[in-house]
Amino acid sequence: MIETGIPKLDDYLLGGIPEGKSLVYYIYPGVEGNVFGMQTMYHTVSNGRYGVYVASSTDPRMIREQFDEFGWNTDECGDRFIIVDAFSGLIGADSRERYVVSDPEDVNDLTQCIKQAMEDLDGPGVVVFESLSTIMDLCGEFETLDAIEEWNQYAMLYDHAMVYNFTAWPYSEDTLLHIKEDICNSAISVGGISERVIFGQYFGILKADWMDVPRKCVLFKIVRPGGIRVYIPKILVTGPFNAGKSTFVHALSNRAVSVDRLGTTIALDHGHIDYRGFTADIFGTPGQERFDPIVKLLSGEAMGVFLVLDSTNAADFVRGKRMLEITMSFGLPIVIIANKQDLQGALTPEEIRKKLSMPTNVPIMPVIATNRDGVFEAFETLVDMVMEVD
Amino acid sequence: MLGKVLSDLGKIGEIEASAIATRDGLLMNADMHVKGDPETFVAMSATMLGAAETATSELNKGIPNRVIVETDDGKLVCMGAGPKALVVVLTAPEAGLGLILVELTKAAEKIKKLI
Repeated sequence: MIETGIPKLDDYLLGGIPEGKSLVYYIYPGVEGNVFGMQTMYHTVSNGRYGVYVASSTDPRMIREQFDEFGWNTDECGDRFIIVDAFSGLIGADSRERYVVSDPEDVNDLTQCIKQAMEDLDGPGVVVFESLSTIMDLCGEFETLDAIEEWNQYAMLYDHAMVYNFTAWPYSEDTLLHIKEDICNSAISVGGISERVIFGQYFGILKADWMDVPRKCVLFKIVRPGGIRVYIPKILVTGPFNAGKSTFVHALSNRAVSVDRLGTTIALDHGHIDYRGFTADIFGTPGQERFDPIVKLLSGEAMGVFLVLDSTNAADFVRGKRMLEITMSFGLPIVIIANKQDLQGALTPEEIRKKLSMPTNVPIMPVIATNRDGVFEAFETLVDMVMEVD
Repeated sequence: MLGKVLSDLGKIGEIEASAIATRDGLLMNADMHVKGDPETFVAMSATMLGAAETATSELNKGIPNRVIVETDDGKLVCMGAGPKALVVVLTAPEAGLGLILVELTKAAEKIKKLI
């Protein structure tokens, strides 16, 4: 298997791309999708394997800079990071790369170069195309489609994985359909959401012929440095007064702000977390009843909810449950945080479950927010639940 | 499209940051000329606008047209843009409020139509 290095996508693909198979990132225009190919390239190379990057629309030096922008140092990878230069020939520039396509408008020339690079690789690796659409523009649609089949067959011979970035410009219907459905073993759609209120970007699996395809769509965000992160625009943290919501938000976040007066949150905690390929914005509500109108206002469009409870204060559990109602959380993934586990008289998660009469499908996690005990476990649990929702 | 509304707004000068967000505080688009985190900026602006609405409507004084915050270093103006969205700008201290309010109202109308 060759991992794509895209968070969550490897899970869905049952580990990655099998050797000898091909994958196309089918990118809708206007979405910054080429990063997908780059991330797969860098992930493979940094794992000690070989990667060939076919540069068709950017100067190879610029390409190395683009990788640098994401914090991916290509120099450290040495000769495992190989560029096939199919750009310099277009502008008549000299190239310092080992593989140079002298006439990038001639698909046979390109094929020869790619085949040579594949033969030379010392073991299975990945061949990433910076932009298949550029090749198509230069060499013609039909010529390119034929060439892809040839490249894929050749890759099968050497057990390389083929990865294409393809931007779906208005080519002929047949071509688009062919690329989406036929020509590669798998296809990942990368698109933008513009109809709904949240303007975001998503990816999803269209096809993968070695497995049953899960019907999942994942929101993502591109961060520099870092690359592609699975993005959760809103996770709500709610709970009764003095349960430790703000402490929890701050324990979880890389950076966070709070509007506090006299030691209690009066408006909102806002935190941002970047953790193991996931990024999320976290909204913490006030707990006191007089702020309920604001809680109602701010809790819309959440994708998951943490209910923070003070494990030593059973009297407030009812209020906790009530806050789930106020925030209209029922139906969303909920994780209950049994906070303050280090204090005397703290109830165990099971005791809390009984008192709340919570169904067993709502996890209750022991946490000590003041020293970050259990907060990331809770985050992972909630993220897994959010990702399970279709 | 929303980006264009914000860049038009930026052309009136003295605007240091502008953003469009949902009423519940999710960022839709931002045009930041100052260092800072637009996500937090809009989340807090949405909170202010929401709190102001609650405060006035509790006493039957209707819905506020806008929230204006003045500091020594500038002004912040936040305005609803239709039932789902809001628009907020941060200005330099010398910025004239009149022009900004006129342009912001226009921008809010445009956003309302887009969403």
